[in-house]
Amino acid sequence: MREVLFIAFSLFTIGAASGVLLSRNPVYSAFSLILSFFGLSGLYLLWGSTFMAMIQILIYTGAIVVLFVFVVMLLNLQTNRENSSNIVFLGVVSASVWLFSLIILRVLTRSIPNKILEIPENQLRTISKLLFTRYLWPFEILSFFLLVMIIAIFAITRTQEIAHGGEK
Amino acid sequence: MEWTDLIITAVKTAVIYLGMVQVVPIMLIVERRGAALMQDRPGPNRVGPFGLFQPIADVIKMMMKEVTVPRQVNKALFLLGPFLVLFPASLVIAALPFGDYFTLLGRDYLLQVANIDVGILYVLAIGSLGIYGILFGGWASNNKFSLIGAMRSSSQIISYEIPLGLAACSAVLWYGSFSLREMVYTQEGTFLGILPNWGFFYQPIGFLLFFIAAFAETNRLPFDLPETEAELVAGFHTEYGPMDFGTFFMAEYMNMATMSGLMVAMYFGGWHLPWVSDVTLLQWLGSRNLLAALQVVTVIVKISVFMLMFVWVRWTLPRFRFDQLMRLAWRNLIPIGLINLVITALIMYFRSAQ
Amino acid sequence: MEAFLPVGFLLIFALLLCVGLFTVKRLLGPRNPVSSKLSVYECGVASPEGNARAPFKTSFYLIAVLFLLFDVEAAFFFPWALVYRESLAEGPALLIAMLIYMGLLVLGLVYIFRKDCLKLN
Repeated sequence: MREVLFIAFSLFTIGAASGVLLSRNPVYSAFSLILSFFGLSGLYLLWGSTFMAMIQILIYTGAIVVLFVFVVMLLNLQTNRENSSNIVFLGVVSASVWLFSLIILRVLTRSIPNKILEIPENQLRTISKLLFTRYLWPFEILSFFLLVMIIAIFAITRTQEIAHGGEK
Repeated sequence: MEWTDLIITAVKTAVIYLGMVQVVPIMLIVERRGAALMQDRPGPNRVGPFGLFQPIADVIKMMMKEVTVPRQVNKALFLLGPFLVLFPASLVIAALPFGDYFTLLGRDYLLQVANIDVGILYVLAIGSLGIYGILFGGWASNNKFSLIGAMRSSSQIISYEIPLGLAACSAVLWYGSFSLREMVYTQEGTFLGILPNWGFFYQPIGFLLFFIAAFAETNRLPFDLPETEAELVAGFHTEYGPMDFGTFFMAEYMNMATMSGLMVAMYFGGWHLPWVSDVTLLQWLGSRNLLAALQVVTVIVKISVFMLMFVWVRWTLPRFRFDQLMRLAWRNLIPIGLINLVITALIMYFRSAQ
Repeated sequence: MEAFLPVGFLLIFALLLCVGLFTVKRLLGPRNPVSSKLSVYECGVASPEGNARAPFKTSFYLIAVLFLLFDVEAAFFFPWALVYRESLAEGPALLIAMLIYMGLLVLGLVYIFRKDCLKLN
């Protein structure tokens, strides 16, 4: 049962992810991205990590893709696939080849566990406790980064607006 | 898990789901008659006794009308739009507890679709997906009114999701659990000797935040900016036909019911009757299944009160302007939510320090 | 994970409802597409002003970015809220950690209001 579900969710995720790359309309790409994130959260559920599955939907599907869709709809990137330059294309392809080979290398050099890891009891509380004890500093630094990002976004949009002649 | 278990679970899920779908026809008549009552006119009273069969007539009318797909639309996303709203609205109800449990064939079954340990996160996560139906539907319509309506609607929904999350977070802080079922369990008994031990008395500000944000999340007046018919024709569903409009409405009513169910579970004691504990009730009734039935009735009554509140507010308050709406969310509700969180944490700290 | 099994049932029922509504709509409604019926119009005028899919205001985009940031922040409140009650026995460490975190968040909010970035006024 677990294995069947694992394969089903994986195929669903990969299929949706290739849909992101293959569809010509960016709005359809965004839609495929939502589906692929759903597959991912299904995988998290399968590993017993309900919290991660929910955060995956809440943050990635519920917020990040909304931002993507907003950008696509507001800027109307209808024809960017045709216009994108060869350099960008080459860059994307080489970066993905590089990343993919890294993953393959990592997989080949490591011993592969032959069974899915045991799910600890009371995983929710364990994760939360760890976050506020061992990983307290990364957590606090993260909030600082978020503050920097809030300020950066406004700085960027403000300079854009000034460049466009004070357009509202 | 045996196959009888599976079948009973499936039937239970189907019954709960169909029960939630029944909210739509009931609310159709309640809203129309309620509006009429508040505006001092009779309202629909010709179809059946007291106009009770009006929803059936409405649905038949919607079904028999012509389906038009305008030429300029993106067909696939246009057709998908209403279902992208209805689908998450259907899934959210999984986490709502309707009662403790009932016994059948010697086994206990929870009166809930799924006992999810991250219940409140599940509701927030799946509930936030309804925005895509509006966004894609509005964009696919390729009409300026639809697109502006969709943009407004989605910015409204995402802006009010933060106060909603903060209110839910302070509830989680108070109960120390994500599970709605466990929240309801802790609300048994009395508070200060006279009041029922409901979350509302511990989290009044949180409840108010949740209540306001729930109106915005379900696109109800005074926050029905996407539909401002005076400016945007009908907002994001301008180009849609009658049955698609009906589907959007179904989703809206189901979302209202879910939000009411959440408020009942988090702030109003869920299936508990005030001042009476489950054990006493079980002694009086003598049967576990009778108690389960009573609990379901209690939850339904509590949800109905909130649904009536939605109708009442709709005909009482005027609509906000878009900038007022955004200001309310970002300037007022989010700071209040953060303050509520800090106050709750401080109170809990000082209570434990004593 | 087993707790999510009934959600699978619910998923199937919801799909059935959607498919049912779609087929009912298709089967029962009359279909009589006429060219002028399907054309674009705006307040009775046959040709609307400009294309609907033209770029417009950036303030919607700003709201989406801000929502994303605050959603990430709020996501970290949840695990904190879960363990806070238990951690009270070990002193105010978690309270102080969260107050620092929230302080930075409030700074961000104050910045948004002071610069009037959402054009709320």
